[in-house]
Amino acid sequence: MHAHGRRVFALAIGLAAITSAGCKKETPPPQGETGAAAPAPAAPEFSVSGVEVGKQIGADKRVTTPTTTFAPKDTIYASVATEGSAPSKVIAAKWTFQDGQVVKEAADTIAPTGPAATEFHISKPSGWPVGKYKVEISVDGSPAESKDFEVKK
Amino acid sequence: MPDPKTPKADFSDVESGSSSTAPPPKTADQTYTVVKGDSLSKIAKRFYGDAQQWRKIYEANKDQIKNPDLIYPGQTFNIPGA
Repeated sequence: MHAHGRRVFALAIGLAAITSAGCKKETPPPQGETGAAAPAPAAPEFSVSGVEVGKQIGADKRVTTPTTTFAPKDTIYASVATEGSAPSKVIAAKWTFQDGQVVKEAADTIAPTGPAATEFHISKPSGWPVGKYKVEISVDGSPAESKDFEVKK
Repeated sequence: MPDPKTPKADFSDVESGSSSTAPPPKTADQTYTVVKGDSLSKIAKRFYGDAQQWRKIYEANKDQIKNPDLIYPGQTFNIPGA
């Protein structure tokens, strides 16, 4: 076979190799499409993630500046941060004074679908007696968190 | 130990409130069968405590209610939850 013929032959072999390689090569499936869809992550369980007390709350129902010292004429806010979702949860706040008296109890029923904040507040037109107080937060009757604070003149 | 001579603190005038960023739970849907003398506002007053909520009942039963001023005894309406 003369030189030209050999070159044509080699070219033909090369072309055949390229096309057959292309036929044999399997395109790997795109990632994530190998079978059934992955199950959706489970919804996070409902829980109380924190309680803050302060003199003011923002539009997000969270205490703007946490503090544990109040003046007699202050309105006292307790903000309860929660995570997770639930069809119905009763969040309650029980406010007590150092002598064991219950100052006030209140509850709110919520159906959160994600992070949320619930605020409770108390005020006393005649002024708070000086001393130590506590706010106890419960969920569906079970204690969750509590916060101590004080009223000073 | 508390001093017995010290009067107990008075908390009778304490005011309180609460609010949340989370919505309240939805109440379940109900049904109601119309009787003589009923109107959508009367039914709304009965179920929601607010006669102005009649439109909610109307919207939920548009397939049966062609004219919200005309309902008939025997019609059964879906009453959406609050």
